[in-house]
Amino acid sequence: MASVKAKKTSSKRKHDEDVAEEQTLHSATALEMLTDDEACGDGDDDLSDGEAVDEFPEIDANSDSDDDEVEAEEADEEDEEDEEDENESEDDEDELLTDDSEHHIFPKPKTIISKITGQPKRVYPEIEPDYDSDSSTEDAPNRVGDVPMHWYDDMPHIGYDMNGKQVLRPAHGDELDKFLATVDNPDSWTTAFDKKQQMEKPLTAEELDIIQRLYAGENPDAQYDPYEPMVEWFTGKGKEEIMPLSAAPEPKRRWVRSKWEKQKIMKIVRAIRQGRIVPNKPKTSSKTQEFYSIWSSEPSSVQPPPLPAPKRALPTNAESYNPPGEYLMTEEEKAEREKLDAEDRERDFVPQKYSALRLVPAYDNFIKERFSRQLDLYLAPRIQRVKLNIDPSSLIPKLPSPSSLRPFPNYRSLRFTHPKGRVRCVSISPDGAWAISGDDDGIVSLWEVNVGCEIKRWKFEGKIGALEWCPRADLSYFVVGIEETIHFVIPPNVDASILALTQSLLAPSTLPPASGTPSAVKWTTPSTSAWSSEKPILSLHLAPSSGVVTQLSWHKRGDYVASVSSGGSQNSVWIHQITRRYSQAPFKKIKGAVQLVLFHPTKPHFFVATQQYVRLYNLAEQKLLKTLMPGIRWISSMDVHPSGDHLIVGGYDRKLCWFDLELSEKPYKVLRYHSRAIRSLSFHPTYPLFASSSDDGSIQVFHARVYNDLMTDPLIVPLKILRGHQITDGLGTLQLRWSPKHPWLASAAADGTVAVWCS
Amino acid sequence: MARIKQRGKAGAAKNYVTRTAAVRKLQCSLADFRRLCILKGIFPREPNNRKKANKGSSAPTSFYYAKDIAYLAHEPVLKRLREHKAFAKKLSRALGRGEWSAAKSLEENKPIYRLDHIIKERYPTFVDALRDIDDALCMIFLFATLPSTARLPRDIVDNCAQLAMQWQLYVMHSQSLRRVFLSIKGVYYQAEIMDQQVTWLVPYQFTQNIPTDVDVRVMLTFLELYQTLLGFVLFKLFTDINLVYPPPLDIKKEDMAAGVGALSIQDSQEHLKRVSNDKNLGADGKKISGKDVRQTIKSIVGTNDPQADAEMEDQTSTSQELEDEQFVTHASKANPEASSDLPTLHTITTSPSDPTSRLFAPYTIWLSRETSRSIFEFAIRSLGGRVGWPASSGAGSPFDESDESITHVVIDRPVVQKEEPATQRELRLRRKYVQPQWVVDCINAGKILLEDDYAQGKLLPPHLSPFGELAGAYDPRTSNDVNMEETSDAENDNEEPVESDENNVEDDGVDAALASVTTDDPASLRAAELAAEAAGLDYGEFESKVKKIGKKGSVSSNAVVADAESDMNKMMMSNKQKKLYEKMKYSQQKQTAEREKLQRRQQALQKKQTT
Repeated sequence: MASVKAKKTSSKRKHDEDVAEEQTLHSATALEMLTDDEACGDGDDDLSDGEAVDEFPEIDANSDSDDDEVEAEEADEEDEEDEEDENESEDDEDELLTDDSEHHIFPKPKTIISKITGQPKRVYPEIEPDYDSDSSTEDAPNRVGDVPMHWYDDMPHIGYDMNGKQVLRPAHGDELDKFLATVDNPDSWTTAFDKKQQMEKPLTAEELDIIQRLYAGENPDAQYDPYEPMVEWFTGKGKEEIMPLSAAPEPKRRWVRSKWEKQKIMKIVRAIRQGRIVPNKPKTSSKTQEFYSIWSSEPSSVQPPPLPAPKRALPTNAESYNPPGEYLMTEEEKAEREKLDAEDRERDFVPQKYSALRLVPAYDNFIKERFSRQLDLYLAPRIQRVKLNIDPSSLIPKLPSPSSLRPFPNYRSLRFTHPKGRVRCVSISPDGAWAISGDDDGIVSLWEVNVGCEIKRWKFEGKIGALEWCPRADLSYFVVGIEETIHFVIPPNVDASILALTQSLLAPSTLPPASGTPSAVKWTTPSTSAWSSEKPILSLHLAPSSGVVTQLSWHKRGDYVASVSSGGSQNSVWIHQITRRYSQAPFKKIKGAVQLVLFHPTKPHFFVATQQYVRLYNLAEQKLLKTLMPGIRWISSMDVHPSGDHLIVGGYDRKLCWFDLELSEKPYKVLRYHSRAIRSLSFHPTYPLFASSSDDGSIQVFHARVYNDLMTDPLIVPLKILRGHQITDGLGTLQLRWSPKHPWLASAAADGTVAVWCS
Repeated sequence: MARIKQRGKAGAAKNYVTRTAAVRKLQCSLADFRRLCILKGIFPREPNNRKKANKGSSAPTSFYYAKDIAYLAHEPVLKRLREHKAFAKKLSRALGRGEWSAAKSLEENKPIYRLDHIIKERYPTFVDALRDIDDALCMIFLFATLPSTARLPRDIVDNCAQLAMQWQLYVMHSQSLRRVFLSIKGVYYQAEIMDQQVTWLVPYQFTQNIPTDVDVRVMLTFLELYQTLLGFVLFKLFTDINLVYPPPLDIKKEDMAAGVGALSIQDSQEHLKRVSNDKNLGADGKKISGKDVRQTIKSIVGTNDPQADAEMEDQTSTSQELEDEQFVTHASKANPEASSDLPTLHTITTSPSDPTSRLFAPYTIWLSRETSRSIFEFAIRSLGGRVGWPASSGAGSPFDESDESITHVVIDRPVVQKEEPATQRELRLRRKYVQPQWVVDCINAGKILLEDDYAQGKLLPPHLSPFGELAGAYDPRTSNDVNMEETSDAENDNEEPVESDENNVEDDGVDAALASVTTDDPASLRAAELAAEAAGLDYGEFESKVKKIGKKGSVSSNAVVADAESDMNKMMMSNKQKKLYEKMKYSQQKQTAEREKLQRRQQALQKKQTT
């Protein structure tokens, strides 16, 4: 193969040679033609012919030797021509001069058609390097050379001429001459000072032209055409380089395929054939979900699954297409349903009845219901709610039946009426036979508990605030609190011995010695002559501004009575000792307005109820033991259990608090059953009973058993609601008192009656 | 000293996040977040104290468990959603530039997500999935009937229809349908599958239109999940009873509206064998044995026979095995009376748990043109009956109307009096014509009801819900007996005044006196006696009256006493208990009021009917 190639190249080379020969021949003829055509002149043209005009002769590297010969021939020809040119040059000069006069400064170019390219081209005349043509050959008299002329400033001459003679300074006119010269000589403005010659010299036309052009900002060369067509020397058609730049043989890789590429491709091909590569496989086009046994493997996490969503309620009869007639809604019900909001409606559909299945229409809200279900599933918070599937009655505590807890008052045995005014207070004598009641009119009545027969009536000035029998059995008297006084009254028809004892206690012949500290309370006893059952045997006058006595509370032994006045905060509580006829205020100062006081039944303790708290004081040690917090806004009533360990507190906000004093300062039990404010509370002294009365006119009787062992909670059983009192002016039953020996209850009410309730 | 606790670093503030915070944390759009929540089954939670959970603010927001959101952050679906967002941007850019080929290749490589792991996560066991399948079925059945629109692509509807048919096929094959209820909303079906009650609602066959205020995106997201879930559930159900899933679909039948009939049941063993046989045939013909040929022929016959119903095939295939496996009982010598039919595993597994599940087996039922084939074909075939339908209801009916074996015709048209040819009359005599409700009521009753009540053109008995009423609500079934008693009482009451009409005048005073009588009050009794004497009433009569009143009074007074006691005992309840009690009482009273109202109405209706 290589041999063949070589042959080819050799033949190619031969061909090239032929071409070259032809070209040389052609150029030779052209030269001759030129000489023929342009006989009149333009020797520079001829000269440029041959090599110069032939702009880019195609050089054949292989045919060097042949060209040399041709060039030699050409050189010969040129020699001959040079002689002719010399002759012609003079003519040329003339022509040039004439051209100059016609505003041509540079030699005028000629435009000819190139014989090689066939394009028109400009040809400039050859510059002849003769004597004339050089500026150095100009006739300049001063030959000092290129030295600064100021060296000659002081000299009379300005230099030397060719022959070494001094060139004298030309005559130098003064300023006037200069001016005149400008006036006289019309060319003076086209002159310039020549330093070499030290005189004005006129500028040539070319120089003026250049100045003008520079002045106009143009190219100084008048012949320069900025827009002349581009001459394509190396590019364009027919100018391609056909000869190789290197003679190296063509490498194999140019025509042999790459082994490695082939291996790579084959690898892919094999993969495609085996199906490992799927060409143009759309990755996600296989949309169909593949199902498999997803539950055959163990669950990934040990966590319990999330709670399933609650299912929808199953349809009931009303949803049937053919429900029983009673499920259909009447027109009114439908209208009523329309008025409700969609979420308030009991059912989301109106029951309909169709006689046949074929008549059932489509259900409009099907999709909407589905949608709302889905909203529930993903938007509604779910709460796990324990549904109590119990009978509500099982919530009611199981208590022993009231019938098993007899006796307790359950009916009204009698009613005692005060003529006018509401009955504020009632009290039953320690033997249980007599009762006194006092009303707002100032009347205190003494009547018999069993029959209700009034024995005696006292009339006092002012409202009866409180009255209490003295708890001593060997005496018989009671105290009445009216305004700011407390009266001690002995009832009539008392046994003589008792009367005497009472009189001797309340009005002793010799008064006990007055204590050192004078008290604000005055004890007054009328003279023995004025003694009668009409008048109180003893009167206590509290301080004038202390206010109405609202409560009187006896100590169990009957020697002390405590009084509470509604007036001021100071000294509203007094403890009066009967035997010593002495009153003392136990508290110098007390926080809050005192509502009630109570003596502890067994200990020297004293309960004081202010508006919100109950405080327990030890009177003997004179210190605060406990503050009970019932959580009542305004305490209205209070009583202590006969054992002294339990306390009940009632409030105007209808609450009743049971305190276990051993247990806590918070109530053991809070009950709220009255519909109005609680007015009075009372423990029975012997029976396990207590009762509460309220402004709603009712009396609630409770069984309250207190156990001795500390572990068992007290048992409270509501027994009976006693009704019978009328509500007048928003007030109901105002005070309750138990009969000391029977389970009987006396209640004073705002309607002016006192009722006795028996078992 | 203990470390100072910082606010919002522990407790509810840390355990709950608001929705906005969750979206921000997951760095996705709200729509994506919703989609994730739907797919993962995450729902908002109600904190005990909203203020504590929301840094003191009481603004109305929904809260999620922070842990739920933390789990969501690792969710592969979330990653896919993000990729999809990028994809959508790229695609819109390519489309905007008109680079169609780039857009095409992007579209081909569109990111999609799979929900398999979510199914496994949400339903770790199969029973969990079955328990939660109700909503899925409702949605699938709904979307199977919807027209495809721009918002609802056709392939989704098709897939839903496929799944619905497969589900029906399974229920029919396993004979697990228990209850059907024709309601005004649609038809409720209840099936018992693996001891789980699955209830679904299918709308009547009308064109449903999606209302504008329904967010289709949400529904489609749910549907996405449900389709996957149902697919896996069906796969498990079918493969558990050795059937091929998905059951092969006969497209020709499908095009002729054959419905469920277009699907064929295929035993997976046979299927496998056939596949292997085909391979054997392809590889080398020598390996085929005679047995294989027989089997293939049998299977070909089995599948090509149009008469072969799912259950029939099942019977034929299992009957031989059944005989083989029959437990041979040897009566024990010691105790010959001991029950001889010990249950074998086979009998337990194959015998339908409910004897009513083959209720219609002895019957051949023809569905008339106007009855809905989709409902009754499914219902009857699920209970073992043969069913046929006219060609207008779709292809694939196993027999035609003139078939001799037809026992019942379900017909839903009014009776038209006209002359009919003798053959027709003869047919009419031999067949029973019933209204569609008969089929459903039979299924719910678990027995074949008398056809006379449901005869063509008759007023149908009310169709009651087989799911029963709420506890304590009015039940028309039981209330009938109660009413009978009450009406008899009322009649007795009516009789009395007629008797005592003559001495009505003088009775008034005595009655008034007696009315005030309480038996425990001797004084008032005495007063009443005097009044009776004054009125000239016989003593015996008076006694009887007193006794009657005493009886009533004692009963009522006892009740009153008990009431009063319990009322008083209520005082001792705590506030919380009291409120609960009141609430329960309120709902009870409401229910009884409703019940009494319905009872009164029913009586009024009965009266109207009798008169």
